[in-house]
Amino acid sequence: MALPGPLRTTITPPELELVASEQLVEIIPLVAMERTAFISGAYGPLRPPLKCKVPLWMATNLKMKKKCHIIPPVWLNTDYLQDRFNEETTKEEFSRLPFRFMEISKVLLDVASDDFQNPDKLRSLLKDIREARQAKSREGISKLDHSALDLPNLCAMEINEIRPFFVRAMGVITQLVREPEAGQAMEP
Amino acid sequence: MADLDWDFAFDVDHLDEETSRQPKRAPKTSRSRSKSVAPAQDRDGDVEIQDDFDIGAERDDGGGRGFNLGILGEEVDDGGEESLVQELFRHWLNERHSPDILPINEVLLAGLLDRIRKQTSDVQLLRSDPNSSEDEHFRIMLVQTEVERLKFVIRSYMRTRLFKVEKYAQFITSHPEVHDKLSKAELEHAQRYTQTLEAHFTNSVLQSLPPEQQSLNEDMVFMPPMIPEPDKNRPVFAHARRNCPPVRLPDGSMIEMEKGQISLLSYSVIEQMLLRGEVELV
Repeated sequence: MALPGPLRTTITPPELELVASEQLVEIIPLVAMERTAFISGAYGPLRPPLKCKVPLWMATNLKMKKKCHIIPPVWLNTDYLQDRFNEETTKEEFSRLPFRFMEISKVLLDVASDDFQNPDKLRSLLKDIREARQAKSREGISKLDHSALDLPNLCAMEINEIRPFFVRAMGVITQLVREPEAGQAMEP
Repeated sequence: MADLDWDFAFDVDHLDEETSRQPKRAPKTSRSRSKSVAPAQDRDGDVEIQDDFDIGAERDDGGGRGFNLGILGEEVDDGGEESLVQELFRHWLNERHSPDILPINEVLLAGLLDRIRKQTSDVQLLRSDPNSSEDEHFRIMLVQTEVERLKFVIRSYMRTRLFKVEKYAQFITSHPEVHDKLSKAELEHAQRYTQTLEAHFTNSVLQSLPPEQQSLNEDMVFMPPMIPEPDKNRPVFAHARRNCPPVRLPDGSMIEMEKGQISLLSYSVIEQMLLRGEVELV
């Protein structure tokens, strides 16, 4: 009944995908549908071939039934990602990418790879970016101290990945910093 | 998605009953309205889902209001308030990431459960209508998908709380100031759970021990406390939803989080900002 053990310390990637699926994407519908009220808002009307904005979960659902084409988000193309990758390898900080770019790109490439011009190139770029960023977050561990750590431009999936280690490491550092103080306080 | 779909014994309808005891809200009207509107809808057969949802339609300005994504993917703050669904996701993620149990938002849950109930009853009505077209089936499917997504999140939210309620049951029972954070049902559960646990410990082991060792709350030197408490020093990843007032870090220095900033900080530092909704946990 209570939350299962493995989920207690952190959130899982499929759950992050669920969160990211609330974001809006543009689609070109292939079927018509009246404007319909959903709990998160009203979407539609779908009038092929006019573009329409719907949540990602709806777009995936429609796409799997071959009822729409998904228009890739502006950042999900080879030129943009190539630029980010160059930034990633030349600069020290993380490049600016959408907070949930990993989840969204995975969902889109899984269900709608035929809507992209060069899905394989995109996949390999995303993988390169991920690896470059992963290396940086590992280096980030050295900056960890007991008070606060800024993580500019880190995305949701990366935070989730480093969470167990960073949280524990910071807990240990905090303890180490505190204990000598407590000891000093006891001595006159 | 399939792996997430546990078989929840926790019934959302039960949650309904709990929340519907809350006095402040007007779901009754909306429910009775939906009942009276329903047959009429059924007869003309085409108005169904759409114009019934005044709230959804009013709030919306063309594209729904999911998490808007700017070019660079910063979640765009369009100045408006967040939708019920966004608020639910935020509370759910906060609860999942926070070491302490957060105040329950019963108004939000009641509102959402009302909407879910309404969507479900509308869907059932449409399904029972033999004349509904292919197009309608397709809309029904989408509406149901959304309802299932939200039910999943609500269940996960309640189960996360339940996990904390059980883990800290003794702490909660003995600290009245925490009681306000829980719903009535959660508080009752915590109290019953504590009683059962203590009765079990006493019957199985404690009564055979010498009286001075029978307590469940002994202060032992060099031992962690016997009653688990939320570890407020645990670091969390906080994302500033707007510019935040400066707060003091444990080492005495000050930090001021700017909008959009993500930091790893001790929970105790951001606790107040989290309760005020200035930061969210990611």
